[in-house]
Amino acid sequence: MAAVYKSLSKSNASKVDKDSEGGNGSVERKNRQRVLILSSRGVTYRHRHLLNDLAAMLPHGRKDVKFDSKSKLYQLNELAELYNCNNVLFFEARKGKDLYMWFSKVPNGPTVKFHAQNLHTMEELHFTGNCLKGSRPILSFDCAFEQEPHLRVIKEIFLHIFGVPQGARKSKPFIDHVMGFSVADGKIWIRNYEIREIEKVKGEGGNEEDGESSKGRKTKGGDKDTDISLVEIGPRFVLTPIVIQEGAFGGPIIYENKRFISPNQVRAELRKAKAGRHNARMEQKRDTLARRRNLGLEDRTKKESNALDTRELFA
Amino acid sequence: MAKKGATQSLNAEPKAKQSVTDRKSKERKGDQKKELGSDGDGDREDKDDAEEEEEEEEIDVDELISDLDEEDEENIAAGTRTRQTIYNKEGLLAALRRFALDTNPKTVPFAFHQSVVSSKRTEESIPSVEDDLQRELAFVNQSLEAARQARTLLRKEGVPFTRPTDYFAETVRSDATMEKVKAKLIEEATAKKAAAEARKQRDLKKFGKQVQVQKQQERAKQKREALDKINLLKRKRQEGGSSALGTHEADDIFDVAVDNELASQSNKSSKKRSAGDHGQPNPKRQKKNAKYGFGGKKRFSKSGDAMSSGDLSGFSAKRMKSGGSATKKVGKAPRPGKSRRKAMAAKR
Repeated sequence: MAAVYKSLSKSNASKVDKDSEGGNGSVERKNRQRVLILSSRGVTYRHRHLLNDLAAMLPHGRKDVKFDSKSKLYQLNELAELYNCNNVLFFEARKGKDLYMWFSKVPNGPTVKFHAQNLHTMEELHFTGNCLKGSRPILSFDCAFEQEPHLRVIKEIFLHIFGVPQGARKSKPFIDHVMGFSVADGKIWIRNYEIREIEKVKGEGGNEEDGESSKGRKTKGGDKDTDISLVEIGPRFVLTPIVIQEGAFGGPIIYENKRFISPNQVRAELRKAKAGRHNARMEQKRDTLARRRNLGLEDRTKKESNALDTRELFA
Repeated sequence: MAKKGATQSLNAEPKAKQSVTDRKSKERKGDQKKELGSDGDGDREDKDDAEEEEEEEEIDVDELISDLDEEDEENIAAGTRTRQTIYNKEGLLAALRRFALDTNPKTVPFAFHQSVVSSKRTEESIPSVEDDLQRELAFVNQSLEAARQARTLLRKEGVPFTRPTDYFAETVRSDATMEKVKAKLIEEATAKKAAAEARKQRDLKKFGKQVQVQKQQERAKQKREALDKINLLKRKRQEGGSSALGTHEADDIFDVAVDNELASQSNKSSKKRSAGDHGQPNPKRQKKNAKYGFGGKKRFSKSGDAMSSGDLSGFSAKRMKSGGSATKKVGKAPRPGKSRRKAMAAKR
């Protein structure tokens, strides 16, 4: 019986849907996003936790096993197609310490490659917020994202991947967190906050509270008199854009970050600087010796005796 | 490190630099150029932008490579090497157009995308990126603004925003983690409380010491005053007594006056203190005070100085030669002197 009811209602619903679509023309546009989330081999536990956190936050995501290859990334396209995904979020770990994140729109691009730094996962205890699993976030973009073409592309990709589409299968109906994307120092800083609504107490507040609450009511125009505060949930990380490709894991490069210096280079410079210290010291030593010799301090030649020398005076 | 520094410094005006280099290459190579990425379609608002940046976009790939070698050599010689990078604005915009979602507020409800763009650049409100507190504050403010805006928009559209208190569902962070977070918060709070308590106690102690010192000073003052008074009386009596009265009688009267004075004094202060106050503490106490600190500098009192290192009273050459410690001396008999050894050899 139940099955019959189900099928009936389903058919009804589909009919209604069709009707509405037909009636409204092309007004009802659906935002279909599915994200394939996976990492390469050789990720550290931190990277893995970050991946899990992101997967928990994206109900429209599909977590897959580790991807074996680091060079043949175009194979990810087929994999995404296999899972009906149109976005790929790929964690590429290098040398067991550097993490690169690839954000890609799958069938025909673009692809953005980021270097991820300063990872903090939800496991950390200094984040005190919490939110529903699968609730749709509010995406808060810095105004800088509108001002440069490469940032506009990045913003759009973030919107597709981090924005949970309306009516996603596992999404929850309430909104209780904000994801913040900010640009500073040529990097993109990503934060995740819980929206905590605090009821304003009327009876205890007195006159001051009254004025404030009335103001709040005016500005918000909401039905309930609550104030918003934010509490960080995590994860937090910083992304440095490296390269934007036109295709999905392929195609011509349309953006390259001039300011990006690879972590390998940074480490090499550090090492070189460290090695340079010894050389500098040796050089200094040699210089000192030469200088002393020039001054005649190093030789065995006797100093000219002065009449006012202690030795002369008190002989 | 120098190269890095150069690239960093050039980051301030990357556009200008690049256009300059491009112009150079243009002059040298003449006219073997091919436009890359300028499709020429649908660039309504970016038309003038594109014209301005045409020079930047006119980079042929193989020319770029050959260019790079020459320019590298030149730049290395000049010490101004920059990395040639690609910034194909037209291509980026074309790509964006291909996959962008419609987020126009007129055609699409806000609940469709739920994205908010801040009113001003966040970077402007960050004085220094290194300063964690201010940076995070700027980020929070950006998100707070977005949350407020989003709430009004969503309420207007009739989308449920606030979670009802009786709605329970799985959360992103597990209960175990939240338990840990709570425990940590509690621990922090108690630690803070304990620290405050300890500070209070310390302050009290400090204050108590002050009170003690004050009391001691007061007592000393009282004593001084009393002694002064006695001296004054004595002098007066001596002057008056020698002239007017006989010595015996005078003594009697004087003693009575002093006694009276002392009695009044002893009534004021406790008897015990007045008795034990005068005189120095016993020598043992004095020595201990010198050693463990009761007045005077305590630091370095045990460390060696010129005197102590010059003091050879504890040194004996005999023991030095015998090889350090006394225990060793017990274990093994010392070698006999030369004459004795000779005598022993002769015996054999």
